[in-house]
Amino acid sequence: MNQHAKAISFVLNGSKTEMLVQTHENLVELLGRLDLYGARESCGQGLCGCCTVIVDDVAVSGCLYPAAFVDGKTITTIEHLDHDVQLSPVQQAFIEEGAFQCGFCTSGFILMTHKLLEQKPMPTDEEIRDYLAGNLCRCAAYPEIINAVKSAATKMART
Amino acid sequence: MISFELAEPKTLNEAIALLDAEDPEVRPISGGTALMLMMKSGVFRPSRLVSLQKVEADYSRIERGSNGSLRIGAMASLSQVEHSDEVRRVAPVIEKTMRHLSNVRVRNVARLGGNLAHGDPHMDLPPVLSSLGAKAIVAGPSGQREILIEALFSGYYETVLKRDELITFVEVPPQAGWSSSYIKCTTRSADDWPALGIACSLRIEGGSIGDVRLMISAATEKLTRLVSTEKVLRGQKVNEATFERAGESAMAEAEVIGDSRGSASYKSELVRVYVRRALRQAGLGETQP
Ligand SMILES: Cc1cc2nc3c(=O)[nH]c(=O)nc-3n(C[C@H](O)[C@H](O)[C@H](O)COP(=O)(O)OP(=O)(O)OC[C@H]3O[C@@H](n4cnc5c(N)ncnc54)[C@H](O)[C@@H]3O)c2cc1C
Ligand code: FES
Ligand code: FES
Repeated sequence: MNQHAKAISFVLNGSKTEMLVQTHENLVELLGRLDLYGARESCGQGLCGCCTVIVDDVAVSGCLYPAAFVDGKTITTIEHLDHDVQLSPVQQAFIEEGAFQCGFCTSGFILMTHKLLEQKPMPTDEEIRDYLAGNLCRCAAYPEIINAVKSAATKMART
Repeated sequence: MISFELAEPKTLNEAIALLDAEDPEVRPISGGTALMLMMKSGVFRPSRLVSLQKVEADYSRIERGSNGSLRIGAMASLSQVEHSDEVRRVAPVIEKTMRHLSNVRVRNVARLGGNLAHGDPHMDLPPVLSSLGAKAIVAGPSGQREILIEALFSGYYETVLKRDELITFVEVPPQAGWSSSYIKCTTRSADDWPALGIACSLRIEGGSIGDVRLMISAATEKLTRLVSTEKVLRGQKVNEATFERAGESAMAEAEVIGDSRGSASYKSELVRVYVRRALRQAGLGETQP
């Protein structure tokens, strides 16, 4: 450990967690050390959303988020969505609509969709496109992704 | 990236004391979205970063004054500003600008102070806030001073802030009677950095332009106020002929530089067209109550 390591504590997917982080580490690297690989670095520049993590209830790009900044905060990753042993309605909708090919972008799209539907339970096409503009799918499953968001919205409205 | 000291003061005054007037390797960090990019690419190698994340909550507050002015804490996130009713009531152009500023995740993390202090001439809020007549409240070891946002930038990625000064608040004056617009022009993909940004505010009196503030960004080395073109506009009727003359004037006035998003001559032509469009939007838009 070098002199710049920081002791931090935070709530990760419902569990209190304490660890030492290096000041130059980002949030994706921190999660990787805990064997959580759902958020992954792709562009590394905040542009694509593959590294999406929820920090204190808002979506952030883990690739641009200093790990030390999560001290005292609450973090949710894609791994937590099925913690009650059931896929979330958004996960279910992505599978039913075939909203991915390689799946590299999927965890980011799913977390962003959860946030969108919290704010706008029945989003219009334009609202979906606006909100997800910062998520890239290199396999270009965009039409299916939009269908999945709408289908998830309908599922969630029914429950 | 290399390791560095990360200081996390609990107060703004402590933060100022941890900065260093002489040392370029010591810098404040607010959201970190711009600095992380610079550190990852090796453009910036800090010895110490002073985080503003844990300073007093006052610096994240947004308040509307009884006279219709706005006071926004420099640590307010761009999302907070985007979704604030107070901001929307005083200056709806800010919310419209946010929609096309980067993406949701960056807006959740980036702070107003970091956005202004970064000094990248391609950014959207500096021209918009300047056209609203906003100023930054800046604190340093010897006290406080005010800087108009239009005077904050001294060059490409350069500001007039001293290394041990922090932006603490942004104040937007009352906008009653004014109408504002902002248009950015991207020449590659829709979400690319702009080749040109034009922000304008008009105060319209009986069908004529009583007063105007006109800003150009992205196509010039730094954010610039088009002072001569404003003179062409003042006192004129709000109509197409006026907007057209202003477009010609702005094209002659702006010191446009070419880059990968367009040559200088192409961008000059863009200036002519986009100044006209921005004025038309503000001129035909509703003024603030
Ligand atoms: C993917 C992506 C897309 C983007 N697209 C756009 C776009 O379309 N339009 C646009 O306008 N911007 C865009 N940006 C830039 C973004 O707006 C900035 O990165 C952000 O606003 C910087 O804020 P921050 O709080 O993260 O700053 P930081 O990274 O924390 O700091 C930036 C600079 O400001 C200094 N600083 C921070 N706070 C203060 C303070 N209170 N007082 C004095 N100095 C301070 C720091 O020392 C540093 O020099 C984009 C960024 C990314 C990553
Ligand atoms: S890897 Fe973080 S946004 Fe692309
Ligand atoms: S499914 Fe391959 S990147 Fe989206």
